[in-house]
Amino acid sequence: MSGLFPNALHVAKREYLFRVRARTFLITTVLLAVAVAAITVLPSALGALGVSDPPEIAVSVDADDLTTDPVVAVQAILIAAADPGSVVDGEAPSVPESERARVVRTDDPEAAAADVRAEELDGLLTITRGASGDLAFEYLSDASPTNQTRILVTQAANALAISDRLERAGISAGESADLFAPPDFTATAADPNDSRGEEDFGGAILLTYVVVILTFMAILTYGNWVAQSVAEEKSGRVMELLITAATPRQLLTGKVLGTGAAGLTQYLAMIAALVIGLAANGPISNALGVSGQLPFTLPELQPAWILAFTAFFLMGFILYSTLYAGAGSMVSRIEDVQQAVGPLMYLAMAGYFVSFIAMNIPDAGWVSVASLIPFFSPYLMPARILLSSVAPWEVVLALLLLAIGVVLAMWLASRVYSAGVLLYGQRVSIRSVLRATRVSR
Amino acid sequence: MSLVVDSITKRFGEVVALDDASFTVEPGRIFGLLGANGAGKTTSMRIVLDILRADSGRVTWQGTENIALPRRTWGYLPEERGLYPRMKVGDQLRFFAALYGVPDADARTEIGDWLERFRIPEYLDRKVEELSKGNQQKIQFIAAILHDPDVLIMDEPFTGLDPVNVRLLKEAFLEMKGRGKTLIFSTHQMEQVEELCESIAIVDQGRVIVSGAVRDVKRAMGRQVVRLATDADGNGADWLASVPGVQITSRREDYVELHVPADRDPSSILRAAIDRGERVTRFEIADPSLEEIFVEHVGRRAIDEEEEHLASTAREVAR
Repeated sequence: MSGLFPNALHVAKREYLFRVRARTFLITTVLLAVAVAAITVLPSALGALGVSDPPEIAVSVDADDLTTDPVVAVQAILIAAADPGSVVDGEAPSVPESERARVVRTDDPEAAAADVRAEELDGLLTITRGASGDLAFEYLSDASPTNQTRILVTQAANALAISDRLERAGISAGESADLFAPPDFTATAADPNDSRGEEDFGGAILLTYVVVILTFMAILTYGNWVAQSVAEEKSGRVMELLITAATPRQLLTGKVLGTGAAGLTQYLAMIAALVIGLAANGPISNALGVSGQLPFTLPELQPAWILAFTAFFLMGFILYSTLYAGAGSMVSRIEDVQQAVGPLMYLAMAGYFVSFIAMNIPDAGWVSVASLIPFFSPYLMPARILLSSVAPWEVVLALLLLAIGVVLAMWLASRVYSAGVLLYGQRVSIRSVLRATRVSR
Repeated sequence: MSLVVDSITKRFGEVVALDDASFTVEPGRIFGLLGANGAGKTTSMRIVLDILRADSGRVTWQGTENIALPRRTWGYLPEERGLYPRMKVGDQLRFFAALYGVPDADARTEIGDWLERFRIPEYLDRKVEELSKGNQQKIQFIAAILHDPDVLIMDEPFTGLDPVNVRLLKEAFLEMKGRGKTLIFSTHQMEQVEELCESIAIVDQGRVIVSGAVRDVKRAMGRQVVRLATDADGNGADWLASVPGVQITSRREDYVELHVPADRDPSSILRAAIDRGERVTRFEIADPSLEEIFVEHVGRRAIDEEEEHLASTAREVAR
């Protein structure tokens, strides 16, 4: 048995250059990079275009005994929702004046209603004193029930009604404020190494989404490339020449490495676009005169975790695409590739969906177990690292099992490959290939 | 030290592709593998190349079993031609040379030489898909020999080639033979075998029916072929049928072909003709042709199938 190198590298180089030089590769890479850059600067651009126009609401009050000013109450809730920091820190809102929600009192509900219908105003809130003595609210707008402003106005109405009831029950506004003050509550992480702050969590979830989706896309897209490329070599009959010149293991390894490198090139282009987009976001929003603040902060990652993410990503990709190559070698026609890679695709999708479920319950026992299984660990372990606390030994064990999985996949795939590449015309069946592996080398 | 295929048996499920097949190829010679479609030629080549493993039996080259030999021992031209269609000729050939461990500089020189020899040096930077079938086949041949293999194994190398390219390929064969290489090829075209091969094996339904030096195979038929022409008209040859042991095999426009048992002296026929007072214009003693031998061993059915196959291949090439 000859060694893996240098032949695997010759195959990888050919595969890489062939991929990267193709016009479709250039076009998709540019499109993806442009799309990523666009997404990062989109909020600022939309802000400048007035798409995220701050809501403007009129309030008509037909109850003159109110001690709380409903205009101030509604505006406070709308502004606080747009800038949660201002409430937590008790500081002045960082959102500039021009982007804050505007709430005005109107004495002419008829005119205001006409403005709402003419879409000059987002809504008209009419407050009356009902027959029972309770406050009644009517909100006129064309907003759907899930409209953010409508939800916030409903909240403001609840708060107003409760403080009004308390008032009438003899509890002053100052006393009711004390009544509803949040208690002193501290959540302490059991694991002292768990340094995630509460405010990081949104960013951590976002990052988990990115890692899981990128892993899934890499497996599906580039795995498919591998299978497709093997099937092309087989249907184009160049395979018989290759298999005489190199061993199945060399060919498989080269194919996976070359395709993987081409995929990474595409990913690097996207990451570069992301970095450029984020860096350009500040200057662009300043130039446009809008707030370019991102609605989240990314968690700080230790270098060891980044290393682990990279290892999970690369090994997960190699595990799946090696098997994709084996599947590709089973078919004689390129049209049959999808059928052959079906089971692998479902496996990859299962891991993907499971990791979304796991994101909500990262501490569940079954998630810990599943995050050690090679086919799932590339998704689940990074998710757990980001969202929960994971002992280093768990990560090391998962990586070790994944490495064993890669070795086994390589062994199985090269058996299937060396038998499959010479089988033409037969229907795709695992049984026929397994039978063939027994008699081939 | 020769290439020895020793009692190879290979089954694919129920089908017996090779049944206790044995033959020997002397080094530095050109060897022809003859047989109908599905006779087991391709399977035996793949087993020699170790891209298939036999169920039993072994293959040795210069005393070493093939599974222990480096891949660069062999050069292979598969029956189904296949190259990367969208890769340039030069890049493609250098890729295959690199897989066999040939230094890039050497590969470039060799590629230049061979393209020159095949009179297509201008195709170096052209994509393979832009080349004609015949020229693609030349590239495929170069891919098989760039690493200077000891044994060159070619499956139907002449199929689909026009006469000019057939001649170029034959010259390339002789060039490789001149370099001391051993060549094995399978073919349907008996004239190439007659012209090039020193020894052959005829394979039918997985069994080697006959093998050895072409001369010995012909002698082993136990008869000679006599072609006789006289100035008598066509029916005048009827008397020949009464000569003991002689068999008229065909009557042509201008001569009659006879089979004569090996133990009879063919010159007795000439003497008999002269004694009858006929003027002999042609008298020729020959060994039976390979085509005759093939038909006799494999049967007329196989030849018809071959011709059908060739015709369909030719149609494909023409398309």
